[in-house]
Amino acid sequence: MVIAEAPAGASFRVVRVMTGKEVGKRLADMGFTEGAEGAVVRGGFLRGPFQIRIRGYDLLIRRSEAAEIEVEPIGDWSAARDAARNRRGHWVNGHGCDGRGGDE
Amino acid sequence: MKPINGATVGGRVVRVALAGNPNAGKTSLFNALTGAHHKVGNYPGVTVEKLEGSRFRGETEYRFIDLPGIYSLTAYSIDEVVARDFLLDERPDLIVDVLDSTNLERNLFLCLQFQELGIPVVGALNMSDEAEAKGVRIDDRALSSLLGLRMVRTVGTKGSGVDGLLDAIDAAVGEGAPALKSIHYGEELESHIDPLQTSLALDAAFSSRYPSRWLAVKLIEKDENAFSRLSEHEAGAGIAAEAREASAWLERHFGKDAEIIVSEQRYAYIHGAVRESVKLVKKPSFSVTEAVDDVIMNRFLAIPVFILVLWGVFKLTFSLGAYPQGWLESFFAWLGGAFASALPEGLVRSVLVDGIIAGVGSVFSFVPLIVILFLLLSVLEDLGYMSRAAFATDKALHAFGLHGQSVFPMMLGFGCSVPAIMAARTLKSRRDRIVTILVIPFMSCGAKLPVYVLLAAAFFPRNPTGAVMGIYAIGVVLSLLVALVFKRTILRGDPTPFVMELPPYRAPTLSGVLWHVWEKTASYLKKMGTVIMAASILVWAITTFPAYEPTAAESATLDGAALAELSMEHSAAGAIGKFIEPVFRPIGFDWKLSVATITGFAAKEVIVSTLGILYSAPESDEGGGGRLSAALRADPDWSPLLAFVLMLFTLTIPPCLAAMATIKAELGWKWLGFEFLFLLSVGWLLCFAVFQIGGALGAGVGT
Repeated sequence: MVIAEAPAGASFRVVRVMTGKEVGKRLADMGFTEGAEGAVVRGGFLRGPFQIRIRGYDLLIRRSEAAEIEVEPIGDWSAARDAARNRRGHWVNGHGCDGRGGDE
Repeated sequence: MKPINGATVGGRVVRVALAGNPNAGKTSLFNALTGAHHKVGNYPGVTVEKLEGSRFRGETEYRFIDLPGIYSLTAYSIDEVVARDFLLDERPDLIVDVLDSTNLERNLFLCLQFQELGIPVVGALNMSDEAEAKGVRIDDRALSSLLGLRMVRTVGTKGSGVDGLLDAIDAAVGEGAPALKSIHYGEELESHIDPLQTSLALDAAFSSRYPSRWLAVKLIEKDENAFSRLSEHEAGAGIAAEAREASAWLERHFGKDAEIIVSEQRYAYIHGAVRESVKLVKKPSFSVTEAVDDVIMNRFLAIPVFILVLWGVFKLTFSLGAYPQGWLESFFAWLGGAFASALPEGLVRSVLVDGIIAGVGSVFSFVPLIVILFLLLSVLEDLGYMSRAAFATDKALHAFGLHGQSVFPMMLGFGCSVPAIMAARTLKSRRDRIVTILVIPFMSCGAKLPVYVLLAAAFFPRNPTGAVMGIYAIGVVLSLLVALVFKRTILRGDPTPFVMELPPYRAPTLSGVLWHVWEKTASYLKKMGTVIMAASILVWAITTFPAYEPTAAESATLDGAALAELSMEHSAAGAIGKFIEPVFRPIGFDWKLSVATITGFAAKEVIVSTLGILYSAPESDEGGGGRLSAALRADPDWSPLLAFVLMLFTLTIPPCLAAMATIKAELGWKWLGFEFLFLLSVGWLLCFAVFQIGGALGAGVGT
């Protein structure tokens, strides 16, 4: 799994940063190192940047960077995904939960 | 190299570098430490500002140097290179690492790197009040002994902890070079760092200049800047080969890049230290920041909120700015009148009243607008909104080849291009930086506004505000299109990383905001005192000389205004204007407008004052620009189409001298030359198309 696949609200543990060079080094320097735990706070509109919480602070990374960080899920990502989808549905369709994500 | 412990009369000087992460409150601590005694300079070779300030206590002068805020000592951005070159080459007596107490792990990451430099380090646990409120309890004694450096609690915004910090500085400097308590990177790494360190230490060419352990670790990290320092000396080649071999071995052994292994070891070490010394006594609660961000960064609201903020900033700027602007206009009109009546008729009076006061005065009245705009933008910056703006706009800007972080420099561009171009430094990738800088001139700066206002009032009387807003919008659209073209042609390349901290909202402090405003306005004021002053005198001179003696017949038949125009036509300005008129004829400019445009290269505001002189209706006269507007409207050569073309030309031609000098300083002659020719040809072609097509459609006839 990579962070780019994580839904908003999902927690993760970093396995490794898959790219080296400048980007990888920067991500590691900002705290994405093996074992570090974090969470996806939100994804941007139309595949915009992610807001990630790690080591007690928040940062923004693009989807392309989020695709380079391999992680393992903490907890149940599918529940977070359903919750996120319902929130989105609420906005887009103008009606509330459709009952699919109620297992929190 | 400056003396390190240069003694002053009866005292000593301690040179302290103030360093730390961005958003750690470094500037407010610097202000608390040094008061108002600042000296602004530049770091050698780059235009990054270097801020120095002193504090005296007893016999000692503490000379603080404010380093740019950085996350690491790699060579990722100019700021990092500047900070690291300063620490390595100037070797201050001590480093104060300003740490954000609410975010210790990432802040300490930089601290470990400072400790490897062999310079004493003192940690300032800044924002300790905020940490306490959040329930972050730091055992600073335990942390001190774990990391092997003194830690002092400070609150920069309130100025507390300053004395404790000075005590710690004294003690740490007194101990001299620190007993290197640097981190242990684990057996595998140490066994490769060690021989490198020894080779470096044995070679005086390196050991006299660089801390061996630091350089050894950097080489393992495959740091290019470290390798280039190594290649300065012939013995470096062998060590470089040794280092490359070590990195390759480690990469095979760990299965990841060497630079990442080093970072992981550092974080592992910090994580251990923090676990033993920091306790969270309160459950993290749903904070104000999160509540606000749920709205402001909402996937659907982020962009509308951004547009609303931008609109609000403009609205406030122009409605608040109108008052001081009016006062200044009356002041300069009064000043001109006072000088005119106090001095005898002659050249001195003419240069003072018609040249300097009219020229500088017409420009100076726009300073309040710029100050208010920068004030509002600084509040947004200090509040932490700018990273939210980057979040909102990154996707859209990225589509046009720009970057979320381009948004702040571009917004500053509405005030003055000079600080805007400098603010583009926050962009890490050189390509992004170049594109951002090259499109900043399309953001209509405060100096272009007087031209727009004058022309809109004269020729679009039904909706002048709409006309001005329209030209601003055209500028923004052009900036995006041009960025897209550049990114698709001359500045092609892989997408650059976007990694940006999202700090919590923090109440801006008055001193912080004022400092930011001053920093940005100072460059504009400097330009006013130099470039605009000189340009005003020059314009006055070329429109006054050579003096024209009207014939008896002309004196008898012509009135004052016509006589003035006649003498203008025979002046140097007239000659220049007529000489270049053929170039401007296709876009509808006569010799007068050609002169005005040429003077506009000095500064855009000068276009207005030049027109004022050319149409014998000085702008500083009673009634502001009213007379000039009327004079232009009365001239049969003018039409709304021509006015629009002049607005467009003002928008697109190369920026003023000060902005061009800044581009040169940031990007060099080559890019400046490119930008100059590019803007000139784009501006001319665009105006040509509009004027010819508009003329053919008959847009110039109707109002």
